[in-house]
Amino acid sequence: MLKNAFLTLLTLVIAIGGGGGSVWYALKVQDGVGAIRIGQWTAFPDIGTSSADPYSKARVAREGVLALGRAEGLSFVAERDEGGAELRRECTYRIEGGFPTARFWTLYAADQSLGVVETGKPRLAALQSYGVVRQADNTVVISASRHPMPGNWLLTDGAGRMYFVLTFYDTPIASSTGLSDVSLPSIIKAGCDA
Amino acid sequence: MRRLYPAMRGLLHAVLLGLLGAGIVHIAVLLLVPQFSERDAWSRLSMASDLYRMTRLDAEAGGAPVVKSVDPLFYATACRFDLGEGMVRVKAPGHVPFWSVSVYDRNGHNIYSFNDHTATTGVLDAVVLTPAQMIDVRKELPEDLQGAIFVEAPIEEGIFVIRAFVPDDSWKPIVSRFFEQSSCALQDF
Repeated sequence: MLKNAFLTLLTLVIAIGGGGGSVWYALKVQDGVGAIRIGQWTAFPDIGTSSADPYSKARVAREGVLALGRAEGLSFVAERDEGGAELRRECTYRIEGGFPTARFWTLYAADQSLGVVETGKPRLAALQSYGVVRQADNTVVISASRHPMPGNWLLTDGAGRMYFVLTFYDTPIASSTGLSDVSLPSIIKAGCDA
Repeated sequence: MRRLYPAMRGLLHAVLLGLLGAGIVHIAVLLLVPQFSERDAWSRLSMASDLYRMTRLDAEAGGAPVVKSVDPLFYATACRFDLGEGMVRVKAPGHVPFWSVSVYDRNGHNIYSFNDHTATTGVLDAVVLTPAQMIDVRKELPEDLQGAIFVEAPIEEGIFVIRAFVPDDSWKPIVSRFFEQSSCALQDF
C-alpha cells in the first residue's frame, strides 16, 4: 500500500517537475528554433508573428516583447566573434564590412537581456548609419572598445559578456526571400585589456 | 534478489510513466503559457494606463520602461484599444526622421506594420478597424478619413505601437513632442 503510494507520488513528481522545469529551461536559453544565421549574426524573422513556433510564442508572452514588424525592420544579434569566442566587454572589436540595403541601421552593445550597455557617460553605446564614416568602397569599419578609438567608435563599458545588436530599418531583407544572399559585417577581436 | 526484482520493476515502471507524463506536461504548459501569462505586453500596459491612452515605452519618460523597447536610438509609445467598442484612430502630426507603426493582437503578435513611406504626406493618420466595420466605412467614406491608412484587423483587443528614430540628442525634444501630440481615440462613425 505504502509502496504504491510512493510510486504514484514519484511518477507525479517526475511528470510535473520534469515537464514544468523543462519548459522553464527551454524558455530561458536564448537560442531557438526559427533562427537565421548569417556569419556571426542571428535573426528571428518569425518572432512575434502568429506563424512563430510555440516556444517563441511562450517567450513573447513571458517577456512581454513587442517584436518589430516586417515593414519596420529586422534585428540581428551577435554573441561571438569571428574566432568563435564569446564577446567580452573588456575587449576591443573591429566590426567591418558591407551592410545590406536599408534606409538606415543602428548598432548597439547590449547586455544579457539585450538592453543597451550602461556607459555612465552622455555618449550612448550605440551608433547609427547616418553618423558613421565610410571607406572609399562604401564599407564601414567600427571599433567597439572601452577606450576612445579613431574612426567610428562604439563605446562599451564594464566587464563580462556582451552582445552586438544590429537592426536594419525599412529594409527589403526583412521579407523572407531577401535573406538568402545577404552578407553582414564580420566581428574581429583586436585585443583585450589584461 | 528474487524479492528485489518486482520492486525494481515497479520503480522502473513509475519512472517511465513519470517521463511520459513529463512530456505531456511540457507540451501542455508550453501551450498554456501565452494564455495565462501576466507578464505579457498587454498586461504590463494595462497596469500602466487605461485603454486609448498613449503610454511611452522607453525609459526617457521617467521610470522603468513598461515594455522593453529595445533599440536605444528609438523612442516608442503604445496605446491599447478594443475594436468591440468601435474603430480606433491614431494620429500624430509633425515630421520626424523615421517613424514606424505596428499593430499587435492581445497576445503580442504583430499583425500589421507600416512606416512613414506608406503615408501619403509622411504624416501618421491611421484607423484600425475590423473587416465588418470596414464594410460599413466603405459604403460612405467620411471626408476627414480620406487621407487615413486603414488597417483591417480581425481582432478585438489590440495594441498600437509607434516607434520613432532619434538620430542624436538634438532630435530628442522633437521626437518627444511628436509623441506628446499623438492621439489614440475611438472614432465615431
